[in-house]
Amino acid sequence: MSKAMLNLQAVDKFYNPGSVHEVHAVQGLDMAVAEGEIVALLGSSGCGKTSTLRMIAGFEEVSKGSIQLAGRDIHRLAPAKRNVAMAFEGYSLYPPLTVQENIAFALKSQSLAKDAVARQVAEIAQLLEIEEVLERYPSSISGGQQQRVSLGRALIRSADLHLLDEPMGQLEPQLRALLRGRIKHFIKERGLTAILVTHDQTEANALADRIAVMEEGVLQQFDTPANLKNRPANLFTGAFIGEPPMNVFDAEVRSEAGRLVFGLGGGVTLDYAENEFSLALRAALLKKPQVTIGVRPHAVRITDEGAKAEITANQWLGDQTHIAARFAGGAIVSVEHDRTRYAKGETIGVALASEDLHVFDTRSGMAISHGGALA
Amino acid sequence: MPELRIENLTKRFKNETVLDGVSFTVAEGETTILFGPSGAGKTVLLRCIAGAVDPEEGRITIGGNDISDVPPEHRGIGMAFQNFALFPHMTAFDNIASPLTARRWSREKIQEGVEQVAKLLKIGHVLSHPPRALSNGQKQRTALARALAASPEILLLDDPLRNVDAKLRFEMRLELPRLLADQGATVIYVTQDYKEAMALGDRIAVLSGGRIAQIGTPEDIYRRPASVEIARHFGDPTINLLDVVPEKDGGGVFTRLSDQRVPLDSGLEAAVGRDCVLGLRPEALRFSDSPDGIPVEIEAETPFNEKTVTLVVTARKREILISRPAGTAAPGSGTARIEVDATDALLFDRATQERIAPQHRGGGKSEAAA
Amino acid sequence: MDHMSPVEKGLRGIALSAVVLFFMFPIFWIVLMSLQTNETILRSPPSMVFEPTFRNYIAIVTGKLDSNVASMDITFMRNLWNSILLSAGSVAVALLLGVPAAYAFARHKFRGSEEVAFTLLSFRFAPPLLVLLPLSLYFQQIGLANTYIGLIWVYQLICLPLILWIVRGYFEDISPDLEHAYRIAGHSWLSTFRRIALPLAGPGIAAAGLLAFIFAWNNFIFALVLASADKQPVTVGALAFVTASGIQYGQIAAAIVLSIAPTLALALYAQRYLVEGLSLGAVKG
Repeated sequence: MSKAMLNLQAVDKFYNPGSVHEVHAVQGLDMAVAEGEIVALLGSSGCGKTSTLRMIAGFEEVSKGSIQLAGRDIHRLAPAKRNVAMAFEGYSLYPPLTVQENIAFALKSQSLAKDAVARQVAEIAQLLEIEEVLERYPSSISGGQQQRVSLGRALIRSADLHLLDEPMGQLEPQLRALLRGRIKHFIKERGLTAILVTHDQTEANALADRIAVMEEGVLQQFDTPANLKNRPANLFTGAFIGEPPMNVFDAEVRSEAGRLVFGLGGGVTLDYAENEFSLALRAALLKKPQVTIGVRPHAVRITDEGAKAEITANQWLGDQTHIAARFAGGAIVSVEHDRTRYAKGETIGVALASEDLHVFDTRSGMAISHGGALA
Repeated sequence: MPELRIENLTKRFKNETVLDGVSFTVAEGETTILFGPSGAGKTVLLRCIAGAVDPEEGRITIGGNDISDVPPEHRGIGMAFQNFALFPHMTAFDNIASPLTARRWSREKIQEGVEQVAKLLKIGHVLSHPPRALSNGQKQRTALARALAASPEILLLDDPLRNVDAKLRFEMRLELPRLLADQGATVIYVTQDYKEAMALGDRIAVLSGGRIAQIGTPEDIYRRPASVEIARHFGDPTINLLDVVPEKDGGGVFTRLSDQRVPLDSGLEAAVGRDCVLGLRPEALRFSDSPDGIPVEIEAETPFNEKTVTLVVTARKREILISRPAGTAAPGSGTARIEVDATDALLFDRATQERIAPQHRGGGKSEAAA
Repeated sequence: MDHMSPVEKGLRGIALSAVVLFFMFPIFWIVLMSLQTNETILRSPPSMVFEPTFRNYIAIVTGKLDSNVASMDITFMRNLWNSILLSAGSVAVALLLGVPAAYAFARHKFRGSEEVAFTLLSFRFAPPLLVLLPLSLYFQQIGLANTYIGLIWVYQLICLPLILWIVRGYFEDISPDLEHAYRIAGHSWLSTFRRIALPLAGPGIAAAGLLAFIFAWNNFIFALVLASADKQPVTVGALAFVTASGIQYGQIAAAIVLSIAPTLALALYAQRYLVEGLSLGAVKG
């Protein structure tokens, strides 16, 4: 796991360089992916994730910088010479071939015996639940099935790197959770190195060991799903990662009689014993009286005490409950794993523990602290 | 606000029956969700109610008045479309005002009415923009504002959150109930997202193949789904489905998973010896140290929002998904044992795919107590 | 694809110039001819060097043609007026009839609607002469021969199918949901047609109208058979220059320049609509 399989060094991508329509799609991207690691490139459309993927695959020229795969410089090689397998967002299945032939086609270059090919195809077909459509043609199967075939064709190849572009967007919702589990098991069992590109954080969280969050061509944070959630590097990542999104409030910090006080809108204050925060953090906070605080919906505790809030919605989804309440001049969302019976209009108390507090610099958006310690 | 009654509605296109004798009633002021996969007939049903499509058979009544022959403009209905259907050559203001101009309101009243609904939906600052200058979220709010502007008695919402991103969808999901309650309208809301259905519906009508497969409260649908298909549609991750044959002994009704006993509701005696499907929701399963637990092999752990979903296989290669709140301890790999919370187990007949409801002595159904 | 080397750019420029030259040459040559006298036009070998003269234009506009042999009256300005009247009138009638019909064909699929629509289009395929002879007899009987109304009526064979098919494509492209939304908002069918369908199909209607105008303008055979001198458009009027004393090439050229000028200007001005209308008509047809 320690050796870097893929290494992107100071990679830039410009479209229409020199013209008025110049777009700096990827900006100085440094990223190393270890052997056997699954990495997700996550971001909204236009963030540069697809450009990055296409540069790794060789469909797009690298404007500046270099890419190494398995110890070779690959950024000047033709796509076919890079030893990269790819599942395309648009599936790109060969229409005149059956599903079976489409998948087997990926094994052509490996000159395997016929029955070995058949066995491997059968195995991947079972994994992806496409056994019943193996003899059909791509045009006669559903979008979800086509996407699974495309995935199968990429996964079956042995390659230094597997690239999966929005691999599960069209999958039938009922299959998603199961296939995520199976595909992760498949990749891990074989020790494949994979990069998936997605705008869906659920997918990235489920599959990836590490996630690279991109926005406007810049890598915002590259970390494990747990760290992205617990230690977001900036307000963008903090608000972007997490479903439902993080609750965010502007606050003024002051010190009052041995307690650290955050003044929110609407006259609401949160105050904590000073010793819940490290000395260095306290100093930093008091130097920047204007901050933005964030609290994840799961960390919002509903109690009898604490700051008052008025329930505006209570929605039970079967396995969890989403509660919205008017709070601090805005709204706060809380998520409970059980069903709760609060009625609309009811007044509750909201408690936010200091350990669940994320504090960001309002102007730069950079994280100042997570819990009681400096970020 | 009147009740809306659909009676035996049937619609065919060429030789295909899209709606097949659909009947249901939406009580006044209530929100009923039409839920179903694409092609189930939801949108056609909505269009029949709006008057954009003429059904072959059946009746639609609003507050007891048959509106089957009333043209759409006189049905007193407000509708929001999935693709927004904003008039591209008009400003947001004129879009929202269109139901009011039709009612020949005075200029001042229109101005007032539009501004009021725009404020409610937080789009007051974009009223002078044409639709192409609006963000997706603003378009969606403009479309909703247009539907609400004339305070219609019946409100039809055709998957209004389908084309907005996850964050906005979540925001609107929390905001909509208040908006709808303020209007007091009788609402039919079409969606393919079970979470929206559960969150917004007083009742949910599940449409399948042009028929109503089940209608009930969110709790009915989630806890007592009528069929395997409905159980599969509600819940993410999807419910685990395992082929079983229930047995019975002195200890009551039970079934076996990997030779371990899983107790079932005592009212399920009728199912003993039959080929059944056992439905276990991922959150009704948990890892356990008990020697009575079912031994499994852990295949993969996939974090899922604030939960962690684990894929395990039993000795007989049956795959099971288990979910637990994120951050709670559990074995990450290797072998483990799992335990079933039998109160949440569902049992379906394997041949008909329909749910077998527990029958308890002492008369009547025990369902209501569940 | 978007990065071209200078060589590629050069080759591309040459190729485009060749195409432009090929298509524009006849027009260029006609303009040259219109500025020459018959003598310089007919000299051999032809030369591009001559002393330009506006005699031809003056003759056409004043209606007096003095050649070295004789003097004759020409009615070209009247022909031009006829062309404008006939084309504009035909397009107006065709729009009035064709746009509602196109809407009906686009929105209301009834049994045989495709067949009716196709039959209307097929009028464009039929050789005009096929209908002309019987038509001229009928027209004489009912007194429509040599009237503007009669000609405009016959011109519907040109304009109506064109407008019907192009505008229908535009109506079909408007999401029916927009109209449903407007009706559900409380507006009548007619006001929905006027406020939603018509404005949104506006560019298509404009394109179809322009095309129909150009086709009507360029028509020759209908007017040749059905109209006498005082109702003839420019296309037929140009024949007057083929005289017993010889063909007046200079005047013909000047007449052609004057007659194509309005349509050319119109086409250039509305180029975008025309291309859009034509290609849409092609796809939908």
